[in-house]
Amino acid sequence: MAAEPKDESPVDPFEAIRGMRDSYLDAMSKVMINAVNSEEHAQATGAMLNSSLMASAPFREVLDKATASALQQASMPSRQEVAALAGRFTNIEMRLDDMEAKLDRIIELCSVAKPASVGAGSLEKAKAKGKSPQRKSPRKG
Amino acid sequence: MTEAAALPDQWSVLQQRFQTLNKVMTTKAAIAQTPKETVWTLNKAKLYRYIPVVAPESRHPIPLLLVFALMNRPTILDLRPGHSFIEYIVGRGYDVYLLDWGVPGLEDKDLKLDDYVLDYMTRAIRKVKALTGSTEFSLVGWCIGAILTTIYASMRPDDGLRNLLLLTAPLDFSKPRALTFARWTDEKYFDVDRVLAAFGNMPGEMIDYGAKALKPIENDISNYLKLWDNLDNARAVESWHAINTWVTDICPMAGGAYRQLIVDLYRHNRLMKGELKIRGELVNLKRLRPNLLTVIAEGDHITPPCQSEAILSKISSSDTEIFRVAGGHIGIMAGSGAQKLTWPHIDQWLAARSR
Repeated sequence: MAAEPKDESPVDPFEAIRGMRDSYLDAMSKVMINAVNSEEHAQATGAMLNSSLMASAPFREVLDKATASALQQASMPSRQEVAALAGRFTNIEMRLDDMEAKLDRIIELCSVAKPASVGAGSLEKAKAKGKSPQRKSPRKG
Repeated sequence: MTEAAALPDQWSVLQQRFQTLNKVMTTKAAIAQTPKETVWTLNKAKLYRYIPVVAPESRHPIPLLLVFALMNRPTILDLRPGHSFIEYIVGRGYDVYLLDWGVPGLEDKDLKLDDYVLDYMTRAIRKVKALTGSTEFSLVGWCIGAILTTIYASMRPDDGLRNLLLLTAPLDFSKPRALTFARWTDEKYFDVDRVLAAFGNMPGEMIDYGAKALKPIENDISNYLKLWDNLDNARAVESWHAINTWVTDICPMAGGAYRQLIVDLYRHNRLMKGELKIRGELVNLKRLRPNLLTVIAEGDHITPPCQSEAILSKISSSDTEIFRVAGGHIGIMAGSGAQKLTWPHIDQWLAARSR
């Protein structure tokens, strides 16, 4: 009848069950790893994927055509057109980045070439420009 | 009376466990917390510079650029405060940069390894060198990032790369029987063109399914049981929550790059054979000559050790080392043992070569 401390439980009744559970899962894990490594699994997975893609292809095609037609009717760009535009933006971004790198290089060369005529402040500014963090691009990826 | 008094306590304990479980399963952990600033962007890619915590005079002069895989977020490198590789390496005095590839959209479906290496990486590295004033740098490539950095190092050997660290690098595909992914993506079973024609990019959900299917019981059952068993352990829950936040942050892989990965690498092993062409130029591994550390996870199911070993016989580097760690593909860098083993070894190796 004397009360035992509540937190002290010398025997966890679930420990044995957990042990059995973990042993079972370990055994099943080995079986499943062997199964997924088999040629049969690769073949079955590939077949399922192929058949689902083949079955959905006509629906996707119809949906794509209908969407493209609707967008055209509404004088709105299609997804492909927007994607093409994004690609051109990326090219512009690359060219701007290259131009900025060339400008930085020119500034660096000018600073090194004429240290006497360039004030110390200007030189530090030129160096600091090379080391300062890039201002954050307003474009979000 | 004791048993009756214990019932409400047991109930509240159970209630607490369910609340913790609900919180872990329905919220995102605060990961990628190491202070950083964006110093460069291109399309979806961002280059981050981590705010140094060591005084400039004590810092290593050679900056370090981290490059992760294309189909996962790089936040695994900065998991949570106190358990972050980036936080650790910044604390060891390195000027650390991370190239975050971003999440590709439909407009990026034609991006290939060529573009990632020759357009994105070269520009990011140029920015690192401009910001630091250093003509040399170190690169860390993990998983697909190791493929990209290896290709880069072979194609641009004179760009100033001094040290190259490859983590669980899937470079050699000469033993397809040992690679589950190779079996699944065999041309007999997997029509990569049909998949990419349907989706544009390789969907993140399919990549995630594939990665988890390598060990289905562990990933889909044991993982959650481990959480349930440790719901009273705040540290274990925090760790699980952080990893799960990263695992569930899936992203697609650009279609062009994915096709190259499957056809050129998994099916034909073109990189190791010297047949891989990047923008018309053959990738010659013999031109790779920086100091090289390759870290191999001995329990890696995604990139078995055999994929990372052969590179040493193909390159011209004179200073090379293989470091083998017990653990899995992610565990060797993000697991509980990484802080004691992998990270200090990387630091020790890199510090000696960053003067």
